[in-house]
Amino acid sequence: MLAELDAIKSDALSAIAAITDEAGLEEARVGFLGKKGRLTAASAGMRDVPREQKKDVGQKLNEVRMAITAALEGKGAVLTAAKDAAAFASIDATLPSRPLPEGGLHPLTHVLNEAVFILRRMGFALAEGPEIETEWHCFDALNTPEDHPARNESDTFYFENGKLLRTHTSSVQIRTMEKEMPPVRIIAPGSAFRRDEIDATHLSVFHQLEGLYVDKNVTLADLKGTLEYFFRELFGSRTEVRFRPHFFPFTEPSFEVDLKLHATGKAAKWIEIAGCGIVDPAVFTEVSTKRGDAAYDPSEISGFAFGMGLDRLAMIMYGIPDLRLLIENDVRFLSQFAK
Amino acid sequence: MNVSLKWLSDHVDFSEYSMDELDDLLTFTGIEVEGIQSLPDNLVVAEVLSSEKHPDADKLSVCQVDDGSGTPRQIVCGARNYRVGDKVPLARPGCVLDAGDGKTFEIREGKLRGVESLGMMCAASEIGLTDDADGLMILSPDLKSGTPLSEVYPAVFELEITPNRPDCLSHLGVARELAALAKKELAGASHHGDSSTPTRAAKDKEIKISTESCPYYTARIIHGVKVGESPAWLKEKLESIGLRPINNIVDITNYVLMEMGQPLHAFDMAKLDGGINVRQAAEGEEFLALDGETYPLTEEDMVIADSSKAVAIGGVMGGEDSGVTETTTDVLLESAYFVTSKIRRTARRLNLHSDSSYRFERGVDPYQVNGASDLAIKLILELAGGKAEEEMVTCGEIPAAPASVALDNDYCRSVIGAEVPDEAIEAILTSLGLSKGADAWDIPTYRLDLIRPIDLVEEVARVYGLDNVPSNQGAWFSPASQADHYFDFASGIQSTLSSLGFFEARNLKLISDQQLTDDLATSHRGMSPIRLKNPLNDEQDYLRPGLVPGLLATASRNQRFGNADVRFFEMGRVFTATPKGGEVEHEHLALLMTGERTARSWADGKPSNLDIHDLRAALEEICPKGLNLVPVDDDRMLCACSIEIGRGKKATKLGLAGIVPLARARELDLEAPVMVAEINLKKLASAAGADLKYKELPKFPSSSRDVAMLVSADLAAGIVADFFANHEEPLLESVELFDVFQDPSGEKLPADKKSLAYSISYRSGDRTLEAAEVETAHAKLLDSLKSGLHVEFR
Repeated sequence: MLAELDAIKSDALSAIAAITDEAGLEEARVGFLGKKGRLTAASAGMRDVPREQKKDVGQKLNEVRMAITAALEGKGAVLTAAKDAAAFASIDATLPSRPLPEGGLHPLTHVLNEAVFILRRMGFALAEGPEIETEWHCFDALNTPEDHPARNESDTFYFENGKLLRTHTSSVQIRTMEKEMPPVRIIAPGSAFRRDEIDATHLSVFHQLEGLYVDKNVTLADLKGTLEYFFRELFGSRTEVRFRPHFFPFTEPSFEVDLKLHATGKAAKWIEIAGCGIVDPAVFTEVSTKRGDAAYDPSEISGFAFGMGLDRLAMIMYGIPDLRLLIENDVRFLSQFAK
Repeated sequence: MNVSLKWLSDHVDFSEYSMDELDDLLTFTGIEVEGIQSLPDNLVVAEVLSSEKHPDADKLSVCQVDDGSGTPRQIVCGARNYRVGDKVPLARPGCVLDAGDGKTFEIREGKLRGVESLGMMCAASEIGLTDDADGLMILSPDLKSGTPLSEVYPAVFELEITPNRPDCLSHLGVARELAALAKKELAGASHHGDSSTPTRAAKDKEIKISTESCPYYTARIIHGVKVGESPAWLKEKLESIGLRPINNIVDITNYVLMEMGQPLHAFDMAKLDGGINVRQAAEGEEFLALDGETYPLTEEDMVIADSSKAVAIGGVMGGEDSGVTETTTDVLLESAYFVTSKIRRTARRLNLHSDSSYRFERGVDPYQVNGASDLAIKLILELAGGKAEEEMVTCGEIPAAPASVALDNDYCRSVIGAEVPDEAIEAILTSLGLSKGADAWDIPTYRLDLIRPIDLVEEVARVYGLDNVPSNQGAWFSPASQADHYFDFASGIQSTLSSLGFFEARNLKLISDQQLTDDLATSHRGMSPIRLKNPLNDEQDYLRPGLVPGLLATASRNQRFGNADVRFFEMGRVFTATPKGGEVEHEHLALLMTGERTARSWADGKPSNLDIHDLRAALEEICPKGLNLVPVDDDRMLCACSIEIGRGKKATKLGLAGIVPLARARELDLEAPVMVAEINLKKLASAAGADLKYKELPKFPSSSRDVAMLVSADLAAGIVADFFANHEEPLLESVELFDVFQDPSGEKLPADKKSLAYSISYRSGDRTLEAAEVETAHAKLLDSLKSGLHVEFR
């Protein structure tokens, strides 16, 4: 009996070793351990074993069963591992991706968002105003002479009712001061309109970012520090910024802001990027008259204002040579800014 | 304004300044340098030694010229206005000339009709000096052959003078400003302002002023002048800044204009009929100006007239028939002061802008009127001879000098934000020609812009320079505004949509009449689009009432660029007029999708087209839960639906969605179906603001039942969804549509029917449901479906 069990064990182990697939494995399991399997049949012979041998034979039987089971399991694991390996062997991970639709924000939005994020960190809140404006908000309140060329129908879009499309976002300064008490610290990105034929450097509808800070004792030093920090955040901490005296009707003193741009292979160049200045007292006087109170009394408060063209900022930041690219929305253009 | 460096050096010595340093000096004065013109290398003075007809071309000559090299140079030339012995500009090979439109061309040796030509003789327009294209430029005979032309006409700055500084619209003005900033001596100008000529008030028959537009007018008469060519120094000065010499008298008036900024006019006495009458024009009066154009005048315009006719549009332009010509012997020289705004109005209305009107409309120093006349008379006597009448005849009064302005130095420092010492403030103002009186600063008569204390602060700040002002960086807490909240909301939608494969478009807010038909936004409540009064062209005559027209144009354009498969979104303001004529501005969001769902790839060689269900999926991503598309009658779209949050009467209507009519899509070259949606973004923002609250996760299992039902083919799934939503059954948890089947052939189902299959899930929050409970609830639901929607179960 013991010899027979040894024979079964040895047959089973060599049969299992030779197995190459799962069907063979099952066949072996049934052949040795199944109801009619050899080991099962052999164990049926236990009852004929003399009593004094029963213990030894029983032990042997158990040992053989465990050996066969272990061999089957071992073989099974080998076969599964081989199958698992085979399952992905033919996958080519270097194929191009399964496509997802590509999308992205317009470059102007990138620039606008970045500018807004920086300025909000600096304590500015957003403000807005209508794009269809009154002449008072767009010009009179901003100390623009009655016969200033910007008011001409050749330069500004008008409506039959006398209103106009704002020529700058500076009108939001007035809208804000009309309804808010000082101190005021706002930025207003938005569209502005000028009656220009569209070409590489002009759009009839363009985008500006306006800023206004009104409080007690606001100075040119505050304006300088604010814009220097802003442009260094936007263009890099080593950006050179300069302030050139200029003229705007609604600020005095007025300055234009230039950045020094370093393009590879070219001499560094000063590029005009923004206008700014100390709010002209005449603007506060207009606002005070309209409000009918002394909240913006020019002898009590002061302020600075700045404005910049966002389209121009985008051109400079990304090296876009022609403004028309910004309104064509060509996917080949937009996808360059998708990441 | 063009300013010649050589001319400036009459007044200030800038010889130790490089061009860049001068550029900087001007820039920090507040004068923008728009460009620096200088003549190219290899452009020299040459003398024409001989000129013979070209053997093979009637219109060409073959010249030998002396370019100073010692060897005559052969040039083939087409001009005829020169004579042998004339000095002309010669561009030698290698000389690079401006060809206009930002292009250049280089002169090379070559053959013209078989004859060798070693350069080009040039007209004034060809070297960019003046607009004179009429034959070769004839240079002064005194110039030495071979002299580089850039020595004769040195660099010219193109300056942009801001409107508040008309005093800088002359060489003397710019020199005065630069001298102050560079702390240099201003030379050769002391005689300019003051006049030593005796004056007498005009008799009525001599000068009469009957208009408020002219406060002060002077005339001086010179008899027996000899009109002729100006000397080289004068011609070169004018040419260097782009002015074409005419004759000595006219050139002198132009010289004084550019030197002092005082416009003058010289009349031929023989062509004046009686004395000068400064008056408003008669309505409809016509005037032939010296530019050859006839201008219709109105009562708003001022003219200088004699007793029978207008001889000049005051301050703007003289007449064709009264100017100085070669036959003139007696000259009346006008020097006057006109009211700024009146000249501006006339110049603008007539669209007639002269060097004279440019200065008068910005403001001219009235105290230099006499001095300018003196300077011109002095030059006329020198260059054209004749005898001036002893006295200058004047009419009217010189306006009062500017009032003095008090400046509190502490105020000045408080605006600048820097500790500028009193001495520095006073030194700056003094350098600019102001003088300190007892309690205020006296303002020079040419500084028309210095009226208020802040105007003086500006001067101090400008000269002190922002470089010397500290950079303050400090801010305070700023509460977020509504605009801030909206910005954040919109940014979130932007990034969601771009992650979903949408590109953001930004279209012009002005659209054409034709594009209005694509609009979805102005359908209701009598809202109408807003037209501009003065559009630039008919492509941009309306403010956009919605965003879809722009997006359709964008899709169409992209189709032409080769991008047929696109998803776009646009956010921005739209404009409509209310029935009462008021304007309303809204913030909208529009989506457009067309073409194949994904890019073609190895994974899917033939992707299917996007459809309305993709559009809905995108809308669901950006809208709060409970989005519904409710079919509406709207012939502007196929499958038109109202986009709503919530159901029934409580629903918030956000906008419209649908498919662009195929005929319109084809007009735009869009072949695949084009899905569009437009919503009011602020409405969405408020609908999306609902509070989120945690609900306990289910502890007990759900039990589901499937039901397949046969319904009329035109029954919208949305109606069935509404039915389920309104079905009152506390155990009903969710309903999912998992199959839609239709058989147009009628074999498997009647052709007018469709099968909808739903999986319905029941659950209780406090127990595991018994099978019997579920069956009861389900049976109730089926009964109710049968009676409510007349469905059959399959």
